[in-house]
Order: sequence, then C-alpha cells, then structure tokens
Amino acid sequence: MSQPIGTDDRRSLHVRLTVLQYGIAVAFSVLTVGFWIFQVAQHTMFREIAESQYLQRVPLPAPRGLLLDRNGTVLVKNQESFNIVLLRERAKDIDKTLEILAAATGVDEAQLKETVSRRRREPTYRPIVLIGNASFAQVVAVRARSLELPGIEDHRVPTRSYRGEMGAHLFGYVGEVNEAQLQRADYKDLDAGAIIGQAGLEQAYNGLLMGTEGSRDVVVNSRGREIDELLKKDPVVGTPLQLTIDADLQKAAEDGFRHFGILNAGQPYNGAAVILDPRSGEVLSLVSLPAYDPNKFAVGIDRASWASLTGDKNLPLQNRALQATYSPGSTFKIVVAAAAMEEGVATPDFRVHCSGGATFYGRRFACWNDAGHGTVDMRRAIEQSCNVYFYTLGQMLGVDRIHKWASAMGLGEINGIDLPNEVAGLVPSEEWKLRVRKEKWYPGETISVAIGQGYVNVTPLSLAVMMMTAANGGTRYTPHLLKAVNRGNGWEPVTPPEPRSSVRMKDSTVKAIHDGLWLAVNGAGTAGRARIEGRDVSGKTGTAQVISLTGAQRARGKIEVRDHGWFVFMAPRDNPVIAGAIFAEHAEHGYYGASIARHIIDTYYAKQEGRPLPTLEKPPVTNAIVAAAAAAPRSGGTH
Amino acid sequence: MFERRLFFHIDWALLTALLAIVSIGIAMIYSTTYVPGADGGHAGPQVRTQITALVLGLVALVIFLSLDYRMLAEHSLILYAGLAGLLLFVLFKGSTQFGAQRWIAIGPLNLQPSEFARLTLALILAMFFGENRRGARNTSDLVIGGFFTLVPLLLIAKQPDLGTAVTLLPVFFGVAYLAGLRMRLLGVIALAGVLIAPLAWKFALEDYQKSRIQMFIDPSQDPQGAGYQTIQARITVGSGGLMGKGFMKGTQNQYKFLPVAHNDFIFSVLAEEQGFVGVLTVLGLYLFVIIRSLEAARLAKDRLGAYLVGGIIAGFAFQVIYNVAMSVGLAPVKGITLPLMSYGGSSLIATMATFGLILNVRMRRFTN
Repeated sequence: MSQPIGTDDRRSLHVRLTVLQYGIAVAFSVLTVGFWIFQVAQHTMFREIAESQYLQRVPLPAPRGLLLDRNGTVLVKNQESFNIVLLRERAKDIDKTLEILAAATGVDEAQLKETVSRRRREPTYRPIVLIGNASFAQVVAVRARSLELPGIEDHRVPTRSYRGEMGAHLFGYVGEVNEAQLQRADYKDLDAGAIIGQAGLEQAYNGLLMGTEGSRDVVVNSRGREIDELLKKDPVVGTPLQLTIDADLQKAAEDGFRHFGILNAGQPYNGAAVILDPRSGEVLSLVSLPAYDPNKFAVGIDRASWASLTGDKNLPLQNRALQATYSPGSTFKIVVAAAAMEEGVATPDFRVHCSGGATFYGRRFACWNDAGHGTVDMRRAIEQSCNVYFYTLGQMLGVDRIHKWASAMGLGEINGIDLPNEVAGLVPSEEWKLRVRKEKWYPGETISVAIGQGYVNVTPLSLAVMMMTAANGGTRYTPHLLKAVNRGNGWEPVTPPEPRSSVRMKDSTVKAIHDGLWLAVNGAGTAGRARIEGRDVSGKTGTAQVISLTGAQRARGKIEVRDHGWFVFMAPRDNPVIAGAIFAEHAEHGYYGASIARHIIDTYYAKQEGRPLPTLEKPPVTNAIVAAAAAAPRSGGTH
Repeated sequence: MFERRLFFHIDWALLTALLAIVSIGIAMIYSTTYVPGADGGHAGPQVRTQITALVLGLVALVIFLSLDYRMLAEHSLILYAGLAGLLLFVLFKGSTQFGAQRWIAIGPLNLQPSEFARLTLALILAMFFGENRRGARNTSDLVIGGFFTLVPLLLIAKQPDLGTAVTLLPVFFGVAYLAGLRMRLLGVIALAGVLIAPLAWKFALEDYQKSRIQMFIDPSQDPQGAGYQTIQARITVGSGGLMGKGFMKGTQNQYKFLPVAHNDFIFSVLAEEQGFVGVLTVLGLYLFVIIRSLEAARLAKDRLGAYLVGGIIAGFAFQVIYNVAMSVGLAPVKGITLPLMSYGGSSLIATMATFGLILNVRMRRFTN
C-alpha cells in the first residue's frame, strides 16, 4: 500500500526540499549575524553592563578625625551606627518597597519618598541613606523582612559623637554635601552623599578631618547577596586635631550661664563668651547659647528637628560669639581711654569734674549717676564708668581717632578666627558715614560713640580681642582654635597665625587702664562680683540697651526687653594670662556676667594649681527669686 | 523485522552529531545548576535526570529505528487516539507545575505527553498525505489535515502551554508543503494569520503573554518586570564575546542574573561561557542535523517517509530557530525549549524518538 514516488513527484519534492534546506540555512545565517553583532561588535558594551551587575563597589566611609582639647581630653569622637539605605539597582518596585519599609520601621513614608526623589539624579549605584542612625529595632525589622525589601540594606557607618550641646557652635555639625557645595572647587572630588562639616570647626577644618573613603569591590548575585570580595581598600581616618580649647573652662563658662541665669532671671541666660590667652590669641573657651545638639545632625537631621531649629526666634543655630553684633556699652570706654592717652590728648592724670551730666554741642548728656562722680582721673573714671569723663575724651578725640584705636584693638574688624562666617561689627568714622549714610558726621554723634552707643556694634569675639589687646599692651593676636595636628607621626604643633595688627602702647597707658579695670572689680566699681582674693581680676561691665527707657518702663518685667549685660575682663592685673568677654542677653547689667567670669577664672586657677575644680551649687529655683529679679530696679546708662 | 544489513545503513554521522549536541547540553546544564558549597559544591540533580533521559532517549531511538516506519504509520490513528486521550487525561487529572497542568506522574518520572504530540502528528499527517494519490492539492484534504493538527494543538494550548502548542503548526506546514501545498494557498493562510493576529491578541492571549510580546518590542519599558528576561538574555550573550568567559565562569549564569538558564535560556549560557566560537560550533551541528535529515527525506523510498521526515524536521527547525533567536533577545520570550540541549526529560526522550524515525526512513530507503 506504500506509495512509491513518481518522477514528476520526485522532482517537485526535491525542489521543495531544496527550498526548505536553503530557507533554514538562511535563517541560521541570520542568527549567526545576530550573534556576531551582540558578541563581537557590541561586546564591550554588554561586558560592561554585565560587570556592573555583578561587581559592586561598597563605599567604606572614613571616620573623621578626633577633636581633643589642649590637655588631650577627647571632645568629639566617632561611634558606629547603622544607616538603612536603598540600592536602587537592586530594588524592584521602589514605591512598594518604601511602603513596606515605612510600615516596618515606623518612619513617615512621604519622607522616605521625598528623600529618594531628591536624590534621583545621582548615579544609581550610590546607596541612598533612608534612615540614618537606625535603632536596633529598625535594623532587626529590616533584616527580618529582607525578602520583601529588595535593595534595602543596613550599613554600619562611623558617625560623629559630641558631648551633648557642649561647645555646639564651636564644633559645628556634619551633614551631607549639598548640590551647591558640589559645584565648588574644594568639594569637586566628593560624591553626592558624602558627609562633610557644615558648621563650626567641622566645616573650617573639613579638609583635615574628613579622611579618605575606602571601598570594597564585591561580587554579588542577582539577589544582591555577596558572593566574593575582590579588593578592599581600607578607609584612611581623618587627621585628629588638638584644640586650644580647655574642656573645663568651656564647661565652666556654659555652667555659668545656666547657673546665674536661673539664679537671677529664673532661666538660663542666652549669650556668648570668648576666653582668650592674651599672650598668644589661643581661644580657651567659646560659648554661644542657646545651643543645639550636633549629634542630631551627625546621622542626618529629621525635618521636624531642622524646622524647629531654623524657626526658633532665639536663633540657636547662630554662633552669637562671632556672627551677631551688639552695642558694647561702657566696655567701649577702654578703647576711648587708650585712644586718648595714646593720641596724647589726655594723660592718666587728666581730670574732669562730673556733676551728673554735661552739655556738649548745645545738648545735655547725662551721666548714669545723677549725683555725679565729682572730680575723677583716668583710673577713677574707668572704675566708676563715668560718662561725663568719656564724653569729654570723645569730644577731644573726634570720631576718627576713636575709630582708629577701636580698629587697632579689633572692634569693627574681622579678627580672623578659624571658624566660618565671622562678621566684623561696626565702629563708625566720618568716611564711613559719608560713604554709607551719604551724610556728614555731626560732632554731637561722637559723644554717644564715646560711651559705646550710637552706631557702634561689636561681636563678643571682637570685644574679647579688644580686651586681649588692652591686656597685652597692643598686640592684636589672631584668635585661633587649632593647636596641633597628628598626621600619623605624633602631634605636630601648628604655627599660630600672624597677629592681625600690633601697636606698642605706652606703659603709662597700659598701666592706667589696668589700674582702672582693677579698681572696677576690687574698688568701688561695678564689677565686684568678679573679685577673687589674690587674683587681681580686672574688668569692666557694660550694658547694651534693648529698647528705649520709656519703652522699658511699659514693658517692665518682660525678660525679652531687658538690657543685655557685658563683662570684659583679664587676670591678673599685671602680665595677664587670661582675658575675655561675657555677653549675657537680657541680664540687665554686666555684673551677672562678672559672676560667670569669676567662675571661669576660678576654674582656670584651680586647674593651674591642681586644686579640685570649683562647682556651682544648684540654685534653688523659686518663684520668689524670679519675681525679685523681674522687679529689680532699673537704672539708665551704660555702666 | 530488523535485518542485519540495515545496521550498515544507519546514519552514524547524524547520530554522532545528535549525541554531540546532547553532551554539550548536559555540560551546560551542569554549569547552570551547579550548587556551590563550602566543600566545593556538587552537581545539581538536573544533570542526573538529563543523563537518565538520554539513556531512555537512546532506548526510544532504537525502538523507533527498529520498527518499520510504514508499520508505525499504519497504526498512527491508534497512536493519535492514545495521544489525545493522554492530553485529555492531563487536562483533568495531571499534576500542576509552574502554573500549568502538563504532567503525568509515573513513579519517579514526570511524563509530559505534549512532547510526544509532534511525533504522533508527523506520523498521522505523513500517512494521510502520503497515501493520498493527489497529494495535498485538494483543499478538503488540507482541512482534514488541519483538523488533525488542531485537536492536539488546542488541548495543549488549554493546559496552558502555548509554546509547545504552536510547535505543531510547522509540523503541519512541513508535511503539507512537501506534499505539494500550493504556494498561493500558503500565501492565503499567511494572510489569514496576519488578519487573525489582532483578534487573537484581543481574545486569545493571556495578559502575561501580551506583556511578554510588548516587552520584547521595548524591553526598557519595564526592566525589572516582564522585560527583564529579554534584557538579561542580551547581556548574557553579548558579554560572552568571541571566546566566551569559560566553562562555569559565566557571571550572568553563575550569579543567577539569567532566569531559567538551564531550560529556556541554555543557549544563552553557551553563548556566554563558550563565546561566538561555541555558538558557531553548536549552530553548525544543528544545521548539519537538519540538512542531513532533509537528505534522508530526499532519499526516502516513498512519499510517506519523505513527508514524515519533513514534518519532524520542520517542527525541530522551528523550535531551534525560535529558541536561539529568543536566547539572544531577538524573539519574544515563549516557553519554547531548545530540543536536545534544554533540560527536560520528556522533550529529550521524544526528540530522540523522532530522530529514530528519521534514521529509520534513511535506513530503509532500499527495502520494500
């Protein structure tokens, strides 16, 4: 029954078989060309794609350099914490992943999405930190749900650890480099997401502190599981820095603001303090209050905390010591005294009679003491803070010579401290008024300037520099914080910066000022609270008016309208070794600042002599004290 | 039934090429399924299964070689009825794996009846057209042949296993073409296919099937989802280069970036580890097998033998070309495996059996 093939049929079959054979051969040829294109012509591109899939570079962040105080006490260190990160290359559905992550960790989903959206332009192999400093519970939750969370990992990272709010403005804080910074030359080598100093010393010495990031090249499979490590480059830890700061003085100063604020006003004082070594310009302590907790920044600050810091009317992020200016009040009389004696318009024995006020250029200017100081010389005028005496010196000097000496002593100038964003403040001159105000200077204005009012505005730092210059007789050292660095071969001292300017004041000038300041503390002056037996503390109080006297009458009792108090000081009177300025907001009078200074100086000497450091009794906070402070009689003037 | 002299007419070259391809396939399965471990790892269980299937396949080959193909063809209606019964059985009673009901469990073996559909269909179609004096010139014969094809096709598509189902179409067209199907009619059928395609798109295809086709057209639309396999296949092949990354050194394969590597994408693994050179070698072997088999059709003593070989090879060639194109990302991902190389016991056994028939036709070219 089988059908043999006829001749015609066979010819037709052979033709069709041949067509089939050729057709299939052509199809194979096309496939071969296809493989050639992929495997030979485009091989390099596909090889790179394949490598990018299985080779991962895991960054190993470098710990930042430690910050130590002048005695080797560690002030800022590093600790390990966990970041929960997103690796976008391994995530399947990012939105879904973030939803699960938010539920597992209790973090706001919208915030997670915003973080990812903000960083979406970065190369996808860079991990995005979703949760900084994750809690142990969050890390466990993420690990337990790793199958549902492709692309989510926890990374161990070194993070900055600060001593709470202590020295917050001094140390500053760290944070991710922002886009504007990445455009700058000094940050151009950084990757997005790098942690850099964003304020304070962390910012100023970022280059030294940062260290060098290391990396691990690892082989991963399609689930992101690490299979092998090919190459490991250890991170290089940042350079440790030794500061000129003394941790105990820093603490003493901050304690002082808290203690005397609660004692006198029922709440800690805000303000600033700068303590210098007048022989070198080393900064022993630098305080700005209110402070913030830089630890919150170390791991990426959350939006609520950031909003509360930036929205706070007390400006906790501002470093009041060098970024805010205030009227110096009577502390400015030191500059006028120096100017008068150095310019030769008055000697230490120059006398003026004060009857409670005097008339200049047809207008009466009052002394703060209505009864008058009687006849006073330079020393007594400083001791008593006699306005009439300094009105007289101001009239004799003219504003430009006051400006010249104020500048020589650091006021209205940039003093060059190694912290970011220092402002200059202002001491007016005739040229300044013409240039900025487009008006000529009226001699009557000089009278107010002579007691530190009018246009005069200074930073607490510059007032500390003024005091240092008065203490050492004319050398305006550059205040600086860096004492030594350790580049791996032990501590190398850092060459201190050159003084900003130097004049040689007459011995008689220096002696008269020092005597006057000594009397202010140890005589009948306004700064008796700073007195320490045998230490010859010398200083001067000052008051910066917040609002006019009539306004103050109306708002009596409200703390935010009380005057600010200044106290500038040095010790001892002869060859001083410590000098500084205390600025207490709304303290009404400088003598509360004097109490703070006393505690600092006491601590300084206790340390020098190896005694136990003085402590401040915890003040009893009662309503009676608050009420008494609020009702304290106010006095006009700037003493 | 088996005369000694027939032994000398066995096409040893074809058999050697087949065994070479299967061996290369087993080596690739070894590479993709290797289980690494602290002790150095061990071969995956799939290797042993595939070797067992090869042995069973050789047995099947010998059986289908020994029985006269004409005798088998005469009983093809019974075989066909048996196949339809098995396909119906798996639809209602079969075991379900990977979302489809395809298997019959026989002891330790999971038999997949659909893999034997091509062989049975080729037999019955060759019988039907070969014993028809007018060949395929009669349209009503074509309709009957089409009916023979559609029954198993629909049963398999219902499992659902569209990939295996469509491989029946080239068997039908292969036989019909050799039997003298008019080219004009072929053109009409092709045109009908084009016209039906949108309807099929709308009514017949499952969502996952549509998304596979969409992703083939633009895989970057959803690189983590449906386009993932196509993209990874291209990366796998392209990164292999001219000489390949070396045996068991393919990163796409070893680190599991390429899904179902031992099955649908075995040829991608070959391309990655053995490079363009390996691709040329294996494609050459396949082409040799196909051309050599079609020579058997040319030499066949009767139309039945020629059509049988033509039907089998048309199905085989379609599967090879489609799978290889898919493995380089040039065709949408379908569950079409690479015969002789892909992991799969039923497929290997069935394929070996069909080549038994081809050797059979060539061997018996002089007998009456």
